[in-house]
Amino acid sequence: MAASFTLVGWNRFKRSYDVALIAGIVLFFAAHVGAGILGTPAGQAPSELQVVIRASGAAAFSLLTFILCIGPLARLTPRALPLLYNRRHLGVACFLIALVHGALVVLWYHGFSQVNAFISLLVSNPRYDSFGGFPFESLGLGALLILFVMAATSHDFWNAVLGPRLWKALHMGVYAAYGLLVAHVMLGAAQGETGLVQAALAGGSALIVAGLHVAAGQREAARDGAAADPGEGWLDAGLAAEIADGRAVIIVPPEGERIAVFRDGAKVYAVANACRHQGGPLGEGRILDGCIVCPWHGFQYRPEDGCSPPPYTEKIQTYRTRITEGRVFVEAAPQPPGTAIAPSVIGEAG
Amino acid sequence: MNADMAAMIWLGLGVYLGLGLLIGLGVAAFGLTRLTPGAAHMPWRVRLLILPGLTALWPVVLLRLAGVRPKEDRP
Repeated sequence: MAASFTLVGWNRFKRSYDVALIAGIVLFFAAHVGAGILGTPAGQAPSELQVVIRASGAAAFSLLTFILCIGPLARLTPRALPLLYNRRHLGVACFLIALVHGALVVLWYHGFSQVNAFISLLVSNPRYDSFGGFPFESLGLGALLILFVMAATSHDFWNAVLGPRLWKALHMGVYAAYGLLVAHVMLGAAQGETGLVQAALAGGSALIVAGLHVAAGQREAARDGAAADPGEGWLDAGLAAEIADGRAVIIVPPEGERIAVFRDGAKVYAVANACRHQGGPLGEGRILDGCIVCPWHGFQYRPEDGCSPPPYTEKIQTYRTRITEGRVFVEAAPQPPGTAIAPSVIGEAG
Repeated sequence: MNADMAAMIWLGLGVYLGLGLLIGLGVAAFGLTRLTPGAAHMPWRVRLLILPGLTALWPVVLLRLAGVRPKEDRP
């Protein structure tokens, strides 16, 4: 959370995170390059540049696979939340590694061509009408362009300028990039001598990513189904006493975004569930020192008006609530972001 | 795809990004606070950091400068 834009809002955790990231990348490269050199029979050894090309490609693909696993893992277990905190640095690192891979490919495989290297990249394999022989280089280039846009817009400045919805929609492009990369590997590296291993690794990675997303989606759908109960413009959020103090239940209106219904002592508030920052699930956070704290990056909002405490300026929608016979009801229609609404109080007549 | 088509693709990409770089430099120097008030007094190193994004998304940046706000910020 920042009132002004800085290069990186460093803290101890972010430094540790990045040190682990760099160490992981170095170890991956060392292992991959070592295996590439030592594991190849004498006389068939690839050049050092080819080994680095393969290692950088494998590193970018593996890192993107890891990045895509973090989101659903964090929905399945809170223990994965620390991985999510600085995920954007993983994304930028992934783009930079992919850029190195692409630059070395252009240099090594197309730099000595009779035609311009970049034109050669697109036309050296002209089988664009083939499925099995489609030019995998173009698929990789497409993925690289998507990763570039995502890395270039990863700073919080872009969240403020684009708005959370457009920013989120833009960054959902990561799935298109991953699909392109899976096809890039299948039609490229997997066609070589170690093709079966490459195909199994790429396919297995894609299956893991898909499986985690399905599992997280099913869990969310089960929870959503149990919560919502629309009636005359008000939603039944369940028994007030069953909401843990400082925590929330999440309900789904017939239309629109999820709603987080918080209890703070005897007071009950309802706000939009999506954080203004990156759409984190506020309802999975808690109230600390009088503010709702997003579990993803720690953004804070006052439950009574949905405003971040000064000097911060983020605002989320708020909802009217009432308590009848111990049950919390939430008006389905949201109030404009930042609208102050008096809480319902447990124990008072509804 | 033939070489002419490939050349056209790269030319189109180059023109788009070249135009974006010019617009991005102008916006990074003079127009950031019109995009978001929080960008006031933004250090130059941060402006450089967001320059690739300004280059890539210059049509959206121009829309924002023209007053088209994000959906969430509209009354």
